[in-house]
Amino acid sequence: MNNNLKRINIYSIYLGALILILPLIAFFINAFSFRWFYPQVIPKELSLQAWVRLKLIPKPGQRTFEGFLDLWASNPTVIKALVNSLTIGILVTIVSIIIALPAARVLGLLNFRFKKLIIFIMVSPTILPPIAFVLGLNINFISIGFSGSFFGVCLVHLVPIMPYVVLTMTGIFANYNPDFEHQARTLGANKTTTFFQITLPAIAPGMVVAALFAFLVSWSQYLLTFLIGAGKVMTLPLLVFSTASSGNPALTAAISIIFIFPAILILVFTSKFVSGQSGATSGFGKI
Amino acid sequence: MGGERLKIVLSLTPPLLIIITLFFGGIFYGFLQSLGYQPAIGKYELNFSAYYNVMFSERYAKLFWSGLALNLWVSFASTFLAAVFALFGALAIRKTFVGKTLCNFIYSLNLPMPHLVVAVGMIFVFSQSGLLARLAAQIGMISSPGDFPVLVRDKYGFGIILAYIWKEAAFFFIILMSVLQSLGENFEELAQSLGANRWQRFRYVILPLVMPNLFSASIIVFAFSFGAYEVPALLGVIYPQMLPVMAFEFFLNPDLNARSEGMALSIIIALIVMILVVFYFWLTQAKIRKD
Amino acid sequence: MSDLKIENLVKNFQGMDRPAVNNVNLDINSGQLVAFLGPSGCGKTTILKMITGLFQPDNGNITLDNESLLPIPTEKRGVVMVFQNYLLFPYMNVNENVGFALKMKGVNKSIIDERVKEMLDLVKLPDIGLRKPKQLSGGQQQRVALARALIASPRLLLLDEPLSNLDAHLRDEMRELILTIQQKLNVTTIFVTHDQEEAVLLADKIALIFDGELQNFTSPKNYYEKPKNIKAAKFFGGVNFINADIVDNKIQSEIGFCEYQGDNIRDLNKKLFLTIRPENIKISKNNEFDHNSYQGKITSVIFSGTHTRYKINVNNVHLECSLQSVGIDNMKEDDQIFVHLPKDKIWGMND
Ligand SMILES: Nc1ncnc2c1ncn2[C@@H]1O[C@H](COP(=O)(O)OP(=O)(O)OP(=O)(O)O)[C@@H](O)[C@H]1O
Ligand SMILES: [Mg+2]
Repeated sequence: MNNNLKRINIYSIYLGALILILPLIAFFINAFSFRWFYPQVIPKELSLQAWVRLKLIPKPGQRTFEGFLDLWASNPTVIKALVNSLTIGILVTIVSIIIALPAARVLGLLNFRFKKLIIFIMVSPTILPPIAFVLGLNINFISIGFSGSFFGVCLVHLVPIMPYVVLTMTGIFANYNPDFEHQARTLGANKTTTFFQITLPAIAPGMVVAALFAFLVSWSQYLLTFLIGAGKVMTLPLLVFSTASSGNPALTAAISIIFIFPAILILVFTSKFVSGQSGATSGFGKI
Repeated sequence: MGGERLKIVLSLTPPLLIIITLFFGGIFYGFLQSLGYQPAIGKYELNFSAYYNVMFSERYAKLFWSGLALNLWVSFASTFLAAVFALFGALAIRKTFVGKTLCNFIYSLNLPMPHLVVAVGMIFVFSQSGLLARLAAQIGMISSPGDFPVLVRDKYGFGIILAYIWKEAAFFFIILMSVLQSLGENFEELAQSLGANRWQRFRYVILPLVMPNLFSASIIVFAFSFGAYEVPALLGVIYPQMLPVMAFEFFLNPDLNARSEGMALSIIIALIVMILVVFYFWLTQAKIRKD
Repeated sequence: MSDLKIENLVKNFQGMDRPAVNNVNLDINSGQLVAFLGPSGCGKTTILKMITGLFQPDNGNITLDNESLLPIPTEKRGVVMVFQNYLLFPYMNVNENVGFALKMKGVNKSIIDERVKEMLDLVKLPDIGLRKPKQLSGGQQQRVALARALIASPRLLLLDEPLSNLDAHLRDEMRELILTIQQKLNVTTIFVTHDQEEAVLLADKIALIFDGELQNFTSPKNYYEKPKNIKAAKFFGGVNFINADIVDNKIQSEIGFCEYQGDNIRDLNKKLFLTIRPENIKISKNNEFDHNSYQGKITSVIFSGTHTRYKINVNNVHLECSLQSVGIDNMKEDDQIFVHLPKDKIWGMND
């Protein structure tokens, strides 16, 4: 009886896992079989045509190293969007970490008046929807010329990322003993050496996780980029959205696979760090 | 001591400046515009007519109230169901079995996945020519795509709910797993030795222990699903339409008067989220005081 | 080598209604081993952190060899502190931890290696250089922390509760080690403790601190025999306190007239307290004492091995006396006896 129950339990876990990866399976079938018509479950033939049409893989016969280079050098839309997404994500992540570091330290280690209020202000973008601020901000950005600029897009990405990075790193500092720094100082290390040899190694693991997920938050932004970018800054999510709306499943699937690749990579890298307690997860609601 | 205060101020200023100018500044300016302040077309007087129009004018009232109903339905249903699925998943997966690590990974897989991709995935799986419809046709359950129920781009928001469940269940799952892990099995074993059966252990031991975390996670999920744009934009229909999509389309409307209405709508969404969050905090605080 | 002078030291923290350190003055001679003794939260660590420069005092001065430390940054003071919980850098192995201070000075690698080995020998931990702190026991971690502190020959060594995290057995061993090393290197040392026994066993002089204020700074022996006030006496296990007045240059206590030889007679107020250690009180069935002899009744007898404790009621004042157990088994509860408080052992305090 108990054994049967156990077995049912395990089978339902497997079933759940299978259901959960159905979309992923559908993505791969769509992307690698150009004509996957209803009611086929298994596609009749495999094809790279979607990738060829996106100019990511050269036509048959030109698939040499040079062929790839030439094709990519012609700067197809997907590559352009990919580079934009990467650049924005990396820039915004670095800037947010640098800005958040001192703030998180103060919030994590010290007690002072208005601390609750400041944390409340910091977290409000994680609760209130982006549409509430971005419409108004857009008009402002148009009037000062930030709209449609790369810089404007980076700036607006800081809004969902900043609270997340500050909160995560505050959590890191709350579990951090500053006496380690004091110890190093009394042993003759100056402030700079202490930061690089004592502080940084201690907070690095948490910081890397915060950075990776900050990057993901930026990587996933659709609405903010669409509005502030005003059609001039093309990123991957914009491309996924427009392709999906225009309806070619093979192209949509191929772009989506590129789009989710870093997400899966980051999950693999960080799965051992990610836990509800770390606070790192609270930002996922935003992706 | 003065030096310390200076350090605090200097450290906190940059992130606060970003949040205050961009986020609160944006909300404030949007609010001004929702009151009809549009210097671009020479409108400076302030009034609440955009709010009135959105909620009560003959033109928009039906759209607005049906949209609000859809919003509430989608957010509540997806938050609740995602939490329930995650809870059962997390409870089931705690014990060791073959393939546990892989299952754990798959259950967390949607966590870093962008919402946009999950929405596209729902189309691929649940549309009338999607993976499930094909499987159903294969085993003879349906004879044509039209026999398969409309699950995406449907007027009940099923597709949207499915997408949010897919995505947020992973979020709940991770949080629950770490809570359960840190609790260990001691409490349950203790309860068992005191004579609690399987259901009682769930109801009186596990549930109260995970509830605080479950609650705070659900507020994040609820607030997000209430105000997000991408998923309903891809998986919704023209009528009824979720409020964020409606606000955005008003805003993009070439008629600049509709812009005020779009802004008003976005402020209304923010207000509702805020009221619900405050209500939630009041509820949990009251409960904590009572305990 | 290094005389430390602390003058009028004051430190306030936000949110505290009294100064964490209030007007502390101390003169510590070169090579001395000094204990800061006081209950938790009295400001011991705060004083150490001001000496190292991790806190800036709000007032006062700290000089080492007649040179003020205040303008010197922490890392240049030559004052090394060993923290309460060792704080070995977790991602460095033992060798790297111990060699840290020399590395900061830019010392040649081969010299560092040599010195690290010397230091590990000194703390009796050869052969663990490649281990990570996590792989060490509490006692070993403490020794490594000590070695790390001593490697750069500090002018002043500060130990914050070096023994409090160790179990009783390790504590004795560690105490011996600190004592031998301190004597061998002759480094001026301050260590913090809230255990008076530990302070007495280790220190040349003890600074007793309550609520941020220095109560007394003197030898351990004086704390037992010549405490400055009731609080200090109680902290060192004093239990006998008798109200008294000075009348016509004589001491009249609540149990009767009292002969007194203490050298502080001129400093005593009109109203004062007398105290005496339990082991200095003598009792007898017969009145065989020539002075300070009072009649009383035994209210309880507690046998505790080598000693036996008697509680005695003298004119409604409760006194305790502790006698060697051998040969005095003829006194029991409710016996009427005579109590003798020798005039060279009794001590007067103002409050
Ligand atoms: N950085 C700080 N900010 C605010 N208050 C502090 C700070 N450091 C110490 N205090 C306060 O100053 C007082 C003295 O603290 P200190 O650490 O010097 O005590 P201590 O004698 O070392 O106690 P313990 O035996 O518990 O270590 C305490 O009340 C403490 O709360
Ligand atoms: Mg202390």
